[in-house]
This record gives sequence, C-alpha cells and structure tokens, in this order.
Amino acid sequence: MTKRILIIDDEPDIREATQVCLEVAKGWQVSTAGSSVEGVKKAMAEQPDAVLLDVMMPDVDGLATLEKLRTDPVTQHIPIVLLTAKAQPADHRRYNQLHVAAVITKPYDPLTLADQIAEIFV
Amino acid sequence: MTQSPKDVAGAWAAGEAAPGQLNSLAVLLHRMTNRIRRSLELSEILTATVTEVQAFLQTDRVKVYRFHEDGSGEVVAEVIQAGRLPSLLGHNFPAEDIPASARELFLTARQRSIVDITAQQIGVSSLESDRPDAEATLGSDIRFRDVDPCHVEYLTAMGVRSSLVVPILEGESLWGLLVSHHSMPRPISEQELEMVQLISDQVSIAIAQSTLLNQTRQRAAQEATINQIATLLNATPETQLQEAIEKTVQALQGCGGRIYIALPSYQSPQLVTYGAQPVITPADPHPALIEQHPQWRSWLAMEPPIGEDTIWAIADLYSATLPSDLALAFLSIQARSLLIVHLHYRQQPLGYLTIFRREIDTERIWAGQINWSDDRQALPRRSFETWRELKQGQAHQWTAADIALVQALSDHFALAIHQGGLYQQVWTLNADLKRDIQKRKQAEIKISALNAELEQRVLERTNELQQANAELVQQVAERERALLERQQAEASLARLSHQNELILNSAAEGIYGLNSQGQITFANPAAARMLGYEVEELIQQQMHSLLHHAHADGTPYLPEESPIYTTLRDGKVQHRTGDTFCQKDGTHFPVEYVSSPIRECDRIVGAVVLFKDITDRQLVEQMKDEFVSIVSHELRTPLTSIRSTLGLLASGWLNNHPERSQRMLEIASSNTNRLVRLINDILDIERIKFGKVTMEKNLCNAAELMTQSVDVMRAMADKAGIFLAVTTVSVNLWADCDRIIQTLTNLLSNAIKFSPAGSTVWLTAEVLQAPGVPSDPSSEAVPDSSDYILFCVRDQGIGIPGDKLETIFDRFQQVDASTSRSQGGTGLGLTICRGIVQQHGGQIWVESVVGEGSTFCFTLALSEPTSRDSLSHDEANLNY
Repeated sequence: MTKRILIIDDEPDIREATQVCLEVAKGWQVSTAGSSVEGVKKAMAEQPDAVLLDVMMPDVDGLATLEKLRTDPVTQHIPIVLLTAKAQPADHRRYNQLHVAAVITKPYDPLTLADQIAEIFV
Repeated sequence: MTQSPKDVAGAWAAGEAAPGQLNSLAVLLHRMTNRIRRSLELSEILTATVTEVQAFLQTDRVKVYRFHEDGSGEVVAEVIQAGRLPSLLGHNFPAEDIPASARELFLTARQRSIVDITAQQIGVSSLESDRPDAEATLGSDIRFRDVDPCHVEYLTAMGVRSSLVVPILEGESLWGLLVSHHSMPRPISEQELEMVQLISDQVSIAIAQSTLLNQTRQRAAQEATINQIATLLNATPETQLQEAIEKTVQALQGCGGRIYIALPSYQSPQLVTYGAQPVITPADPHPALIEQHPQWRSWLAMEPPIGEDTIWAIADLYSATLPSDLALAFLSIQARSLLIVHLHYRQQPLGYLTIFRREIDTERIWAGQINWSDDRQALPRRSFETWRELKQGQAHQWTAADIALVQALSDHFALAIHQGGLYQQVWTLNADLKRDIQKRKQAEIKISALNAELEQRVLERTNELQQANAELVQQVAERERALLERQQAEASLARLSHQNELILNSAAEGIYGLNSQGQITFANPAAARMLGYEVEELIQQQMHSLLHHAHADGTPYLPEESPIYTTLRDGKVQHRTGDTFCQKDGTHFPVEYVSSPIRECDRIVGAVVLFKDITDRQLVEQMKDEFVSIVSHELRTPLTSIRSTLGLLASGWLNNHPERSQRMLEIASSNTNRLVRLINDILDIERIKFGKVTMEKNLCNAAELMTQSVDVMRAMADKAGIFLAVTTVSVNLWADCDRIIQTLTNLLSNAIKFSPAGSTVWLTAEVLQAPGVPSDPSSEAVPDSSDYILFCVRDQGIGIPGDKLETIFDRFQQVDASTSRSQGGTGLGLTICRGIVQQHGGQIWVESVVGEGSTFCFTLALSEPTSRDSLSHDEANLNY
C-alpha cells in the first residue's frame, strides 16, 4: 500500500530533493509544506501515514509543530520523523524524550532514507 | 874537770872545801838549780830536788814533805838509797807530828834543824830575818842543843839517826819541808846546810813558779770550763741551759744541779735540772719546787752568803742549818753538799743555781796508825808502818776554786738567763709576731682566698651576669627580632589579612567557610552578594538549610548526601558544576563550587567552599551550543540538498527523468555555491575575529570604491528591480580597498534583498569632521581630530524592528532567515561588515524604521589611523 508522506521543511531544496527521493525509491505519495502552519494544516487535512518534520524552522520550529500535531487528536496518531540538521548530542537527548518515530540527521543518504522511514511502518 | 855532787859533797862535808871547790859548789848548785828549774811540773821539780839533794848529801832518804792546811802533811817526793830506810812516799803525817810552834819557827825564822840522834843533839840554824831581800844569807853558826826525847824517840822509831830539815816556803807561808834522813849518824856541815838551804830556796822559787803554773793551768782549765759553758750559754739564741747545767755539775763534780728561773716575763718559773732532784714530801702543803718553798727563801735571807757574793756553800747538809725538810729533800737523793747561787742580773733577781754533791769516801795513807781518840797521841809514835785510813760518807767540801768557778759561771748563767729572758721575750714577741704574722698571713691567705673566691665569685657572677646579659641581650634581640618578626608577621598577617580580605572582598567567586557542624563561619561579600544576603546574615547559619543545595535539575540534596557534607565528613575535595544554590529571594542559580576540607592537626574542623554563579557561563555555553548548532544546521542544510540530489543522480533512479535530474543538478549547484559562501563567510569571520586578516591599507579613492561596489551589485539590483543611486565623494582614504568594497557590496546586497522591486537603494558618502561624527553609544572608540568619511546605504525595505537593531550585526541573526536564505544569505554578512569597519578604526551602525526602510552607515578615517585608533579597533574586536 502506498504510503502518504508529508514533508514539513522551510528549505525548498531539501523539500524537493526529499520528495523526489521518496517518490522514486518507494513510490510513496509525498506532499510538502514550507512552514509549520502550512504543515499542520496539510497534516490535518491529508492525514498522512508519516510526517517528516524539520526541527529548525523560522517562526514556529519543528518542536512546536510537533507539539501541535501531538495535541491535535486528528494528527496525534501520525508518526513523526524528525529531520534535523542539529545533530549535537544534547539535541539527540532532547529528541529522544519526544517519543517520535525516528530522528534522521541531515544530511541523510537518499538511497536509505526511504528504508529508514519504512521501518516505522513495520 | 867536772866534779860530781858526791865529790863536792864529800869535800864540803869534810869542811875542806878549797876556793876551787867552792867554785865547784857554785857550779854544782847552778847545775842542780838548772835541773830543778828545768821543769815547771811540781812533781818533776820535787823529784829532781830530792834526787839532787840525795846525790849531794848521800843520805839514805831525801824527801819533800808538804803541809796541808790543817797542819798535817804528806811526803810528796822521796829518794831512798840502798833500802836502809823504808819509803814514806805518799804517807801522811798528822799535824801533831810537827806542832804549830815548830811550823811557826819554820816559817818565821826559817829555822833549819840538824838532828844527830847519836849525839842526842839538834842543831838549829836560823836565817837572818833582818835581811829584807829574798835571797837570805845563811847564818854563820849552828847552835846545837839537846834534842827533845820525844823527837829522838820519834826519829828512832823511824830508823833515822841523822836528820836534816829545811823549810820550803811559798811566799809568806810554809809550803813544806826538805828532809834528809840517814839511818846512820851523819854530820851535816854548814856548807851542806847552806847548800841544801840554797836548793830549798830554788825549790821555793820553782814551787812558786809551778804553783803559778798550776794556778794558771787551773785558771785556764776553769776558764776553759767557763768558756765551754759560756759558749753553751751564748752559742745559740736559745740558751742551752740543760747542757750548761750538765757541764757545770760535771765541772764541780756534783751529782746534780738545777737552775730555777723566775723571770717576770715568764708565766711560770722554769726549772732546768740535771741528775736526781730533791723532792719535797708530798704532804708538804707548800709548792713542790724547793726554790719556791718559804723556808728556802727565809733560810737564804737569814744565812749570810760567802763574801759579798750571793753564794751559799753548804759543805755538809748534816751539819748545816738548812731546814730539815729541805735538807731531807736533798739527802733523799744522796746529796750531801750544796752550792747555792743566787742568780741576778744587775739588781734583777733571776733565780737560783744549785749544785749538789754526793758524799764521798776518802782514803789516806798514814805513816803509822793513829788513834785519834788516844790521849797519848801527843807522844811520839812507835811505829811508822803504813796505815790506810778509809773514811766513808764524807762530805765533799767546796773549794775556793769551786766557789770561784761557780761564781764565774753564775755570772754567765745570769747573763744567759737574762738574755734568755730577753730572748724569750723577743722569742715571745717574735712568736707573737710570728703568730701575728702567721695569723696575718693566714688572714692574708684567707683574705687572698676570700679575695680569690670573691674574685672568682665576682668573675663567675660577672660571667653569669655577662652570660645572663648576653642571654638577655640575645633574648631582647630575639624578642626584638621576634617582635619585629611578629610585627612583620602581624604586618604580613595584616597585609595578608588585608590582602586576603581584599582578595576575599575582591574575589568574584563566593567563598564561605563551614565548621564541622556545617555552620557558616565566614563568607566573603561576593558570596553574600550572590546569595542575596548580607555577610552578617550568613554567619552561624546552617549552610544546607540556607542554600537549599540542589542538583542541576533542581532536586534537593539530602543533607547527608550533599557533596559539601561529604567534604566535612570524609575530607574529600568535591568539585561540582551545575548544582544550584538558593538565593534569599528563593530563586536558585547554578553554581560551580569546590569544597575543600579545613584540617587542623589531621582533624577536619570545617570546610571552605568556593563557588561562582555560572548562570552567565551556562548562557554563554548555551549560546555557544546554539551557535554550533546553528553553524551545524547552516552547513548541513545545503549539504543535505547537495547529498540528496547528487545521491539520486548517482543512484540512476532519475535516469529516466531528465527534467528531475536537471533540477537536482541545479539544486546541487545552488546549494554548493551557498555552502561555499557560507564557508567563506565563516572563515572570514573567524579570521577577522582572531586578527588573522590583515587590512592591507593603501591610499584609496572613495569614489572609485563606491563605483566598483555598485558595479558589482548592478546585476543583482537589476534582477530584483532595484534602482541603485550613488553619490560619490572623491576623497582619498587609507583603507583596504577590497575589504571596503566587500563591505559596501554586503550592505548593498542586503538592501537589495530586503527592498521591494521598484524601490531605490542609495549609496552615499560624505566627509565629516571628527566632532561631527554621530555618536555611537555602544562604541568606545574616540575619533581624533582627523576627517572621516561616512558611507551610507539606504533602502526602502521592510525595516528592522527596534529590538533587533543591536543584534542585527551578530552572527546568524537575521530578521527573516527564510527571506535571507532565499536570497542566498548566510546570516554572516553584517558580522563581516562590522569586523572590516572596526579593523579600519571605523564604526558601523544601522538606523531603521519598520515599513520605511533602513540605513546602514559606517565611517572610515581619511588619514592613516593612529595607534590609539588601532587600539580602539583592537578593543572593538572583542565585541563580536
């Protein structure tokens, strides 16, 4: 079954490249959002199978977005995969406490990214 | 021809002497006289006399009869011929044999007698008494008369038939008789008589000479004795009285003697004795010494001494008047005779010298035994047989010589005793003097010893004092030194205390001390300030309940788990970072602290805690972490795009999607450029920050710089629809042209990015005098009097909120990151601009109104910056 993936990232190049990567690798349906607000809306609207959420975004960052998704009953069940370029140990300690489905550090390998995400569906 | 006396005598006896014979008689007389006078020894004289007379008379016996004082006499020389008559030599004859009358006639008339027993005649011839000269002439006649029958009987009894008697005189006294006996009738001629008389005269002369000699000898012997004793008495300083009395007793043939000396200078009388001494009977209450006995003194006082001398001679104690007690005392020691001499020197009585003799036995040879008690003793004796009369227990009489001797000796004794007394006095004085000297010497020795001891004590005391003084000085010096050291120490302590206080007061870290119970004993102002208390409020407070010591996450420590209590308990140094202390107002703040034990004699008495508020540090660390995180994010973001796109391309998954592949390549290329810029900017910032970039200043023209910058940004402005307006000032300045162009292009780029299309971006410049330089409150740089050029880039963009005007120049501080990134910004441009401007000694700032636009300005010095400018610039670097 084709998975529907929502990518929320303020970097358009990353959104685009990731989208292509997932679509080509797994054939998943990938939508993107360039900000937290847009992403939450799409998540609520599309009910994707997973949300790839960038942590560091202007205005509302990924963690705030995560909180919104978690607190909204519509989206709280959606697995969240954090995509982050902040890969300090302290960051990881903080991420581990968030109980997200996965944390993928940028720059990720495009050939294995889909597999990493697929694991959350197992 | 020499005639013998016999021949001459024969002729003379015969009355036939011719003138030649008379001459011969004279020669004979001369010869006989010479022989008699040849010797001065009486015995030899007498022997020669009797020999010559016998030779002359040729009679049987010629003798010399010597009278004793009592009238008796003794035959002292004799020559016997042919043994016809017995020898009478040594025989004594009683005084009655030659009555005093006869002796008187012999003396006064010089009567000579010739007895012829046969004729019963006695011829008497007297010398002429009227002739005064000594050489009396013989009388011319011999008158014969009948001899006394007694006389005849006497001579007959002696066997004498013819007798010739010629007196021998000695001076005016009758010395003796020259007697010729012949057993046969022998007539004596007048010539023979005259011859014998002449010989008798010569004998008298010889006897006188001999007597004189003997007297001289006796005197000499006496003087020798005196000298000997006197020598003893005077020989040594201390009179040898003992030996002197011995010699005196011996000289006087005594059995003992004593010298009683009673000198005023003597404390008690002295007694020097020799031989057995008389002892008064113990029952006698009087003193033991005889000389002290009152009877002795009274007797001496009553008994007249001999002559004028004070000598008492007691010949026989039995017959003496000496008191019986005293006499018995002497008799008890067999003393019979006493010779007492009162010793005195001048008028000073000295004592007594007493010599006593034992009784003696006398032996006398008599011619015929004499019955002294026989009344018929007046009759001539019938026999002249030798009769030895032995008398025992006879008193030994004192002679005149003895008296003279003792008299002489007494003077010496007296003188010696006197001298002895004087010597004794002198000796006593000397002894006293010696004793005094000895005492004085002893005193001096004692004084010397005392002085020495005193000196020693003084020396020791002085040494002790010196030592004590030295010790005192040393102690004083030590005390002074100690005081000085103490003062120095106190000063040092005070200084140290002051320093410590200053240090403690100045220390940025909080410091407080705890006792073993965890109470705060001291705290420095920093600690009080950080904890929000006054120092006094902290003292004696329980640390744990006051500070609410907690873990970094806010979990409070149980008191026993507190690391500070661990230090108090175990003495372990604890170093913690991140724990929190509670301030007075209840807020906690993170601290880094070190708690160290305070030990005293290996005992933990407390702890000192040094802490500091690490809120700012944590903030800085947080900012650093955030910066690193931002940098990481900024680097990873384009890298993610690059890796993803290139990965897809490399995987071949897009081989059938050429448009996507192209797009991926564009994304990769764009993000690669972004990454390069980012890296360049980061490196630039770091290099400028650490002074690794040297501004190569040259003389630049401001107008050229502005023109070049605008030319660079022209294309971007055109693409964004932005109009660039430039107002140049042709002025030279010292600057790194490239870095100024970089600054201008950065500012122009930002202005273009954030300006709406159709708007204008102005680049202007103007030269200003230093006082006119707009002030920048945040800048400490002070421009000097040189001129400055002011560059300004003004836009009509969205503007910058006021709260971001201060941070807009910080790294990665973008007003709108998405917009910036979309415009290819790295968020480091303004930071780089500020670094370049400050490196040139200039200032950069922004003035903005949201919705109206912003103006970024910076100044540069026209002349080369002074060292002060450089200093300011260096200091400015710290503001990144």
